Amino acid sequence: MRMTIKAGNIRKGMYILFKNQPHLVTKTDFMSPGKGSAFMRCKLKGVQSGATQEFTFKSAESVEQVDVTSVKMQFLYRDGSDFVFMDNQSFEQATIPESLVGEQGVLLTPDVSVYIVQYEDKPIGVSFPDKIKLKVTEAVDADSGNTVGQAKKTVTLETGYEIQVPVFIKQGETIIVDTNTLSYFSRAN
Amino acid sequence: MKQRSKHFSKIATQRMRLYAAVRKFFNEQKFLEVETPHLVRYPDPEPTFDLFLTNVRINEETKPGYLSTSPEFFMKRLVAEGIERQFQITKAFRNGELGSSTHNPEFSILEWYRAPADYTAIMDDCEALLRYIAQYFNAWKTANQEPTPEQIAVASAEVAYKGTVYDLSKPWERVSVAHLFEKYVGIPQHVLLNSAEFTSAVAQKGYAVGNASFQELFDQVFLNEIEPNLGVKQPTIVYDYLASQAALAQLKPSDTRFAERFEFYIAGLELGNAFSELTDASLQRDRFTDQNKERTKLGKHDVGIDEDFLAAVERMPATAGIAVGLDRLLMVFMDTTDIHSVVLFPADTLFS
Repeated sequence: MRMTIKAGNIRKGMYILFKNQPHLVTKTDFMSPGKGSAFMRCKLKGVQSGATQEFTFKSAESVEQVDVTSVKMQFLYRDGSDFVFMDNQSFEQATIPESLVGEQGVLLTPDVSVYIVQYEDKPIGVSFPDKIKLKVTEAVDADSGNTVGQAKKTVTLETGYEIQVPVFIKQGETIIVDTNTLSYFSRAN
Repeated sequence: MKQRSKHFSKIATQRMRLYAAVRKFFNEQKFLEVETPHLVRYPDPEPTFDLFLTNVRINEETKPGYLSTSPEFFMKRLVAEGIERQFQITKAFRNGELGSSTHNPEFSILEWYRAPADYTAIMDDCEALLRYIAQYFNAWKTANQEPTPEQIAVASAEVAYKGTVYDLSKPWERVSVAHLFEKYVGIPQHVLLNSAEFTSAVAQKGYAVGNASFQELFDQVFLNEIEPNLGVKQPTIVYDYLASQAALAQLKPSDTRFAERFEFYIAGLELGNAFSELTDASLQRDRFTDQNKERTKLGKHDVGIDEDFLAAVERMPATAGIAVGLDRLLMVFMDTTDIHSVVLFPADTLFS
């Protein structure tokens, strides 16, 4: 579904059509230059491309707001370069190519639920939770006598992803990973 | 100290340090600090301004009163009265400017005038003022107390903003509006000066033209394609706006298609707007009449014409002046991109 709105009413979190592509509005800023009229500066993230750009609209300009739907699905397994998810309500499955899942795919385990974003019934992106818990499967214990100036070490997570963590993290522990930066956030407990 | 208290005391301290630097700078140059009304009978009729209107009671009668959008008219009246070097730190009000990282509907302005002078003298003032402010802040940091004039004079004039170190002891970049459109937008001067040709050039670039005015399209292209490039390595002065874009400014004597107006930028942030002031009262009256007509067309009310101001314009010597946004200037010296971080009580938090 599409709806025409005035750019002055664009809000963070909306999806709009920009250059015919759906974009998520990640930031808005009202502007009124010198003795000019009103403008809306928006930060836009291409749903398909993932690329971020800024554009300043005239407040009175018409913009197409798009209604994207998102369905909560649980990750099942990888099939080559595809990721297979399932809707736990309808048991319907969806196969999403790696290009749409994005680099956060390295954090998926069968415990993780994501939102599959759809536009005109086609999947256009995957929205991850901000944080994901993962088990450390391989870690070398830091030498207690040699930790000065060495705050981080590399460990392997249950998905095979290698990540930098503080030296006190041990094999078998569960840690929380920030999905936006793909980096260590904290211990799970 | 608690985090919250630190937040408030830091803003309050840095703001007063900025104001102290401004006052020292202008006092040393023998400028007189003045104070003019916030509540006025005749505001600037600029059509885009969304005004705060109230009623002023006189016994049983009421008259419209407006919160001032700038102290300009009164300061020019003082120029006409012979106060030829003056500055003011004050508040200005523009409605409809919430939800923004660079606007607050009530904001702090530094305005100064000098006569006899034109806008190039104000450009030099801007360079000298910002250099002095940077030196004052740096001298304070070193001395950890109110610095002496000697300490200020030898302090570094560097300020770090958005990851770039600006050396304010160096001259700024000065570039004309026409040059910027040519360089960043690929629109040559003759197209910029022709409203119909400009509109079709902008439409070709993919902008929604619809029934947008020339000024709206100019601003939209400027904001998208030019502004992010301004003041990137050093502050940038953008000068010579189109004649239609400066209702209170003198036209350029050598080319009347342009007006003697400039703005200056640091890291894409517009900090000030200056003119060689218009001293032709009958031309000023015509421009005000046109602006009030335009206000009516936009569904806003005709605010009338300030006859006392026009009488002053008639008597004013060649004068130049500028308004500088003090909240934004503080953003630079506190290295933040959000006006909410430099105002103790932002309007957004009062009216949300």
